[in-house]
Amino acid sequence: MEFAESLRLSWRAIRSHKLRSILTTLGVVIGVAAVITFVTLGTSLRADVLGQVGADRTPNVYVWASPAGQEGGGPGAGAQPVFTASDVDAIRNLSGVESVVARGVVPTAAVSAGGQTVAQRQVIATSPSYFDSGGFAEGRAFREGSREVVLNEQAAGLFSPSVEVGDNVTLRLATGNSVEAEVVGLLNGSSGGGAFEGLGQSQPLVFVPTDPFYRTTLEVPGSGESQRVYPTLTVVAEDFAAVPETKASVQAYLENESDAAKLVPGNYEFSAETDQDLVDQIKELLNTLTNFVTGIAVISLVVGSIGIANIMLVSVTERTKEIGIMKAVGAQNRDVLQLFLLEAAMLGLFGSVLGTPVGVLGAYAAAQYIGLSLVLPYEWFAIAVAVGILVGILAGLYPAWNAAKTDPIDALRYE
Amino acid sequence: MAASDSDAESDVETGQGDAKGDHEGAAVSLRDVRKTYYLGEPVHALDGVDVTIPRGSYTAVMGPSGSGKSTLLNLIGCLDTPTEGEVWVNEREVSAISQRERTKVRGQEVGFVFQTFNLMPKLTAAENVALPLVFQGIDKSERIDRANELLEDVGLADRGDHRPNELSGGQRQRVAIARALSASPAIILADEPTGNLDQETGKQIMGLFQRLHDEGNTILMVTHERPIAEHAQRVIHVLDGTIERVEEIESPRRVETDLP
Repeated sequence: MEFAESLRLSWRAIRSHKLRSILTTLGVVIGVAAVITFVTLGTSLRADVLGQVGADRTPNVYVWASPAGQEGGGPGAGAQPVFTASDVDAIRNLSGVESVVARGVVPTAAVSAGGQTVAQRQVIATSPSYFDSGGFAEGRAFREGSREVVLNEQAAGLFSPSVEVGDNVTLRLATGNSVEAEVVGLLNGSSGGGAFEGLGQSQPLVFVPTDPFYRTTLEVPGSGESQRVYPTLTVVAEDFAAVPETKASVQAYLENESDAAKLVPGNYEFSAETDQDLVDQIKELLNTLTNFVTGIAVISLVVGSIGIANIMLVSVTERTKEIGIMKAVGAQNRDVLQLFLLEAAMLGLFGSVLGTPVGVLGAYAAAQYIGLSLVLPYEWFAIAVAVGILVGILAGLYPAWNAAKTDPIDALRYE
Repeated sequence: MAASDSDAESDVETGQGDAKGDHEGAAVSLRDVRKTYYLGEPVHALDGVDVTIPRGSYTAVMGPSGSGKSTLLNLIGCLDTPTEGEVWVNEREVSAISQRERTKVRGQEVGFVFQTFNLMPKLTAAENVALPLVFQGIDKSERIDRANELLEDVGLADRGDHRPNELSGGQRQRVAIARALSASPAIILADEPTGNLDQETGKQIMGLFQRLHDEGNTILMVTHERPIAEHAQRVIHVLDGTIERVEEIESPRRVETDLP
């Protein structure tokens, strides 16, 4: 039996039960739409997040010590101040290393400017090279050893009028002392604070030079000398190609020769992560999330396919007589199987073809709502249509098989 | 177990001048056919039947219900297989061939006409007539030509686009007859073809069968109405799964009608 003729006969069978076919198709439409919505949202979310993280990719290796086996939490989570000034110098001299930026936090109570006081838990103590990548809206980086601060625009905006370059601010330290400093630079609000400050651009950040502000010191074992110790380091490699090697040599140094190895608590381990590692982690996290939600959506697709199977079973029973007639006039089992399979496949196809735009529409609405720019996963549209047909065929297999092996004598007697 | 040629002498003489048990030249020939159903205990629907239907003959089968008429029809129509014996359709033994092959023979060599017409409700008259050709893989244009030709032949040239529910009972049966003819089968099997029709319409259908027979078609018709059976050249009386007797009709009834 020619394919075109089967197609025509199946199409006619579908059309002869319009409402039933529409309702059956609707089940698949909803299933496919749900999957497409979540896949599209996942793709868009990933593109959005990776766009933020990956846009200003740097050849950086982020180093910190954290409890062994700790998963997630981002770079710097659980970091203990263990990297001494000598460690910083030693790492700077490793091959492939361009520079090392130490970073610590100075606990504070508040920041005051122009008579206003704003609570601020901590300020970040680092070296001027922290700002090498630029991002200044105004002013410059602070100088080491001077009482200067750099604020990002969010921090400056906490005051009204906003703090400007040249203003004086007072840092109320957690120890109870107050320190005056001059604002020398404002960081662009859209430039992130770096990997250790977390993703996103929202929080107010205040940066100060380690000298004179950072006072966390420890005695280096075996030397009797006290040095500043930092919880986190950013090692900048000479270029992207040197990143993996730098990461390895930094890790080797830390584990074997560093002061940090002696200072670190027993169950802690060193973490060294590159931008790429971070991006990969985020990717993985987002993939897991997308897969999870898509998995839930797939359930509705399964329900839709059960709908097809159900209606095909009814259809086969209803048309028992027709099957008998077809067989009496020479239809092979194969012909009957083909007819019913095609019918089910067409229901699945229509469902997926209609469901895809509905899903995109759903994703568009959701993206609008959460302020995401939509990225369309085109390959998924093709997959959806293929899955729709497949779902139809799978659902139609048993009913069509039933139809094919109907005994013509019984079928002709059927009323 | 298939009966061999040596069983030929046990044949009941049912043919009309044909050689004993000879399937050569016959449209259909049954040799010592038995059909047993096992419903707890064996039930013999057919218990040793020998029949030869010569080409171009017009035969009626009569018998009470449960006598084995339907089983006989199903066996000849390749819808069923005998428990024992041989069934020859157009010089081909069909009792032992594969289901696929049997379906093929059914489509090409047998044309069914049913009491309840059994047309496909969603297909037009022309599509119904062309349906057997669809399953034989005949070209679409050829199918359409053949269907129109046959519809014209049965007097429904202007009804090709109508669905069965838009046709009268007589018209439906004529569509069904056109369908039975579409593959130019060796035999037309009619199962109570006038059973659902009023007398006048039934007469028209009998007139159509008469014409088809005059044109050389082989017809086997099951009926329980004596006047209908008398249109045939001979009547096979079936009782309890065996052929009770074969009656030759001296002068078969003729329908005087101008209608096709």
